[in-house]
Amino acid sequence: MSRASLAARVLVLAAVAVLVLTVPGWAGDYWTRILTGVCMWAGLALAWNVLGGYAGYISFGHAVFFGIGAYATALLMQPGRHWNFFLTLPVGVAAAALLAAVVGWPTLKLRGAYFAIATWALAEAILQLATVVGFTNGSSGLVIPSFASSSFFYYAMLVAAVLTFLTTYTLLERSRWGYQVKALRDDEATARSVGIDTTRVKIQAYVLSAAIPAVFGAIDAYWITFINPQSVLSADITDQMVVMVLIGGLGHAWGPALGAALLFVVNRQFVAEFGDTTSYIAVVGALVALVVLFLPDGLVSLIPGVRRLGLVRRLLPWPRPEAERR
Amino acid sequence: MQTCRGGALVSLLFQTLVNGLLVGGLYITFSIGFSLAFGVLDVVDFAVGEWVMLGAFAGIGAKSWFGIDPFIALPAVFVIFAAAGSLVAPLIYRVRSSTYARPALMALAFTFGLATLARGTMLSAVGFDPRTVHTGFANGTLSVVGLEIPGLRLAGFVFAIVSTGLFVGFLYFTRTGLAIRAVAQDKANAGLMGVNVKRISMLVYCIYAGLTGMAGVLIGAIYAVTAQVGPQYALLAFFVVVVAGLGSVLGVFVAGLLLGVIQAVVTVYIGPSYTLGIVFGVLFAILLVSPRGILGRGMAV
Repeated sequence: MSRASLAARVLVLAAVAVLVLTVPGWAGDYWTRILTGVCMWAGLALAWNVLGGYAGYISFGHAVFFGIGAYATALLMQPGRHWNFFLTLPVGVAAAALLAAVVGWPTLKLRGAYFAIATWALAEAILQLATVVGFTNGSSGLVIPSFASSSFFYYAMLVAAVLTFLTTYTLLERSRWGYQVKALRDDEATARSVGIDTTRVKIQAYVLSAAIPAVFGAIDAYWITFINPQSVLSADITDQMVVMVLIGGLGHAWGPALGAALLFVVNRQFVAEFGDTTSYIAVVGALVALVVLFLPDGLVSLIPGVRRLGLVRRLLPWPRPEAERR
Repeated sequence: MQTCRGGALVSLLFQTLVNGLLVGGLYITFSIGFSLAFGVLDVVDFAVGEWVMLGAFAGIGAKSWFGIDPFIALPAVFVIFAAAGSLVAPLIYRVRSSTYARPALMALAFTFGLATLARGTMLSAVGFDPRTVHTGFANGTLSVVGLEIPGLRLAGFVFAIVSTGLFVGFLYFTRTGLAIRAVAQDKANAGLMGVNVKRISMLVYCIYAGLTGMAGVLIGAIYAVTAQVGPQYALLAFFVVVVAGLGSVLGVFVAGLLLGVIQAVVTVYIGPSYTLGIVFGVLFAILLVSPRGILGRGMAV
């Protein structure tokens, strides 16, 4: 890379950083809220991608971990206890990680569709459970003391999303562990035969992928100030993560964040334009079907140069012939 | 006094079991096609619940648009849903058999997209209100030895057993049925024996869509349905297939009835709000303990 293009790159990055950091100043309330949501969904999509994209295990139950984070914060910040928000974060993360470790050990023995079904069943069972047990206050939900500062939540989500990206990128694209995860995705038996402890690596990937949504769940609960099982545990949340990753680019380092940003903005515009979310569901379904049929690498594969970075599925067992790619 | 209460308890138990078994018949109908499509196409069709939901709305539509009794429209529903299946099946087959990376995952995602599309479209079209299929048939109740048997459930059960029986007969006593079972067992070898794997896969998907649509009409007559009920029935179908073990026809019968009974018993004795949670908890436990199904007859996972 020549010195001039390096300088140009640094300048562009600096400009983007300044723009991103000053969003609450120039974007106005509406767009600050939308960009807060973009950060949240980008982080969630990146988290789901750790397990779905890199480890090759499709989880249809990730809303559980989002919900655990939300409930941990909401319960600990109730008037009787009123913990500091930042102290509730590690509790939610630890609870989600623990659940993932306990559940992951038996569940990750299941392959493909069976794993998807098991995680879905578990998520539905926990959703039903949260609706009937006492301490969650059932479907009436919990109210959290409000803290009305939209810029605080923007920065909180932004920091969480950036940390998520840096963590997942470093661990999966720049470390030995990342190679182990990708190896087990591509061929589990071979991975084991070359000495990778696949059970341990799978569980680690699951725990990482589960701990991150808890952070976003916690911030979201504090932001929205009201949660109930339907709003933080429902399958819609998982569906969004899956769809965003697929549309952005399954198994790509930042494609899922792109998918999340795009879909979330489209979603908000749909709501603003038509006042409903049902047609959005149909559009999302059609998009997923079309992406799978015609663009299996997601939207990132449309960007020229991305493939030359070699990030997209360089380890997959059946590389598509070069001629077919066009 | 004591014996009288005991008698009431026993008859409540029998009543509950009968209700559960009757609904279980319908679960068999939509699970048997689902199980077979799973075996033949190697894809878990996440749209299975949406076929049920669309079937129920087809029954409602038959009544309100054409004035035809939904039960009389059942054959038409089968034909229409089979035709719709013949549009979807080639796409699923294409994704599943593509040489591109991880076709199994992509096919899973594809049916998930289809299911979401169907749900979103129906939600936009009919909204969130629960509806019921109204039929002029079998609306009374039958009293047999002190048990009240709702006519609708009985009709659904009889229909389920007859249609499933016909289908199983087709599987075991025709050459095409033999070809289907061969493909479900081993695609490569079936292909080598001259079976057109693609055609058989399409055929199975069409029959499955038709059967599931018809089951949807009957389910809509027994329970109220909304446009977002699909995922719930998808999970019930998963339950049956997982408990049965993939590829076991006998297992599907046992698991379908078991599911109906679990649902009825939990609803009556623990409370309706616990039903789904317990069903899914049991499903999760069975997947972990015995992934080849409770009869141990399924294929390895």
